[in-house]
Amino acid sequence: MSEARDLLGRPLEAVEREVLAAHEQLLRIAARSDLAPCVRANTLAALALTWQMANDLDLPVDTPPE
Amino acid sequence: MSVSPYWNPKNETLTRAELATLQTAKLQRAVAHAAARSPFHQRKLESAGVTAASIRSLDDLRRIPFTTREEWMACQAETPLFGDMLAHPRERAIRYHLTSGTSGKNPLRVLDSRRDWQWIAECWAYGFWAFGVRPTDTVFFAFSYGSFIGFWGAHYACEKMGALTLASGNMPTDMRVRQIIEMGVTTVCATPTYALRLAQSAAEQGLDLRGSAVNKVIVSGEPAGSIPETKKLIEDAWGAKVADTAGMTELGTICMFECSHQPGGMHIIEDHFIEEVLDPATDEPVGYGEKGERVVTSFGREMIPVLRYRTRDMVVKVPSTRCACGRGFDIYEGGILGRVDDMLLIRGTNVYPRAIEGIVRGHAEIDEFQVLVEKQNDIDEIILRVELKPGTEACWPRLAKQLDFDLREAHEMLRFGVQQADAGSLPRFELKARRVLDKRRKP
Repeated sequence: MSEARDLLGRPLEAVEREVLAAHEQLLRIAARSDLAPCVRANTLAALALTWQMANDLDLPVDTPPE
Repeated sequence: MSVSPYWNPKNETLTRAELATLQTAKLQRAVAHAAARSPFHQRKLESAGVTAASIRSLDDLRRIPFTTREEWMACQAETPLFGDMLAHPRERAIRYHLTSGTSGKNPLRVLDSRRDWQWIAECWAYGFWAFGVRPTDTVFFAFSYGSFIGFWGAHYACEKMGALTLASGNMPTDMRVRQIIEMGVTTVCATPTYALRLAQSAAEQGLDLRGSAVNKVIVSGEPAGSIPETKKLIEDAWGAKVADTAGMTELGTICMFECSHQPGGMHIIEDHFIEEVLDPATDEPVGYGEKGERVVTSFGREMIPVLRYRTRDMVVKVPSTRCACGRGFDIYEGGILGRVDDMLLIRGTNVYPRAIEGIVRGHAEIDEFQVLVEKQNDIDEIILRVELKPGTEACWPRLAKQLDFDLREAHEMLRFGVQQADAGSLPRFELKARRVLDKRRKP
């Protein structure tokens, strides 16, 4: 597997890999169909935040689901 | 641990070459998003033969068609309420806003998602952090929180950074002033016009703003925030530093901010926007130091992709090196200099409202003013109506002469009428001021 890079083409730093992992973890939670309304709504809110963290760090993430 | 002076140290300190690489990558993604999801942009990109894969450098930006306010309004008229520019269904949105309507045109309707609101706040955070707002600050928003997007994003930015945030909503002006003092507010956010109105209210109530805890006034919504004379009036009245910011509802947030080094202009948030400056007559790019129209491409708003939006704002871009703050973001010298269409032609002479305001605000005795343009016996006449601060009426004969001289001098000896208006007779504004009344224009 090729090494992940940011939009500038640089290898990711440790903190950037952790941000991506947190975002991906939230994406997995959001994909579940058994979430209580409180968990679903807060997961989506958290995803908007992790998307913004990734965006600020120029990480190639897609738009969160809804 | 030392705290960074930059909200986003990674991007704010990129070199120009690195910034171009980032903008190119983000432009490819923005075009891909618009082409895949927005029927409005699909049509336009397809007809121009532009795909994400065909964007290889920033030079390819010029192949993307412009987006105009007129097209946007037309698509909303054809497909009410939101037109076909939206890239996601209405159900994804969490908020609805309208443009302010100060241009006299039909307001534009916009929808934003959760992700959009994080991004909107983020852009404001760049500006507030750059001017020194920190989690220890207490920030007061002198703003009515209505359907005009105004300072909504700034409010969320301050909450995001952990500052104590005071929303004044529909509070009357005198009460706002008292709360600013009582709560030990350190940062006040308002339009430039309303910052002056608050100061006037403090004086009427015998309250000392200069002795208050306020040390920063952050303004937005009017070009006056970058007019030195207006800025100085606000700084003198508040005993605080004033920083300008500028954005627009069409873009959802601010695109530029003044940092604490105050280089005489505003840094462009170039990791979230591409700002071109073009000659409005030829659409050709102009160089550093030349005046032109700003055309904006946005990277952050998912509900409404914005590609090459013609803002009609006139600006002069200068290199980032003009400022000592270390940011790589270029600067709009003097902020927003006016609108492509706000020039008044009076008996063959060009008159810009910003130039008039610069002269008027050089006189601290003036409380409010209005510019009236009308035909008298088929001749265009321009009249400056001036309201004086209470207790300064005796200065009028001298002031009227001085204004008459300064206005003529700045406008090829064009004759202005200069009139004193009764106290309290001119309109006051909380949001964007409308001080030019051109009676020659058909409604």
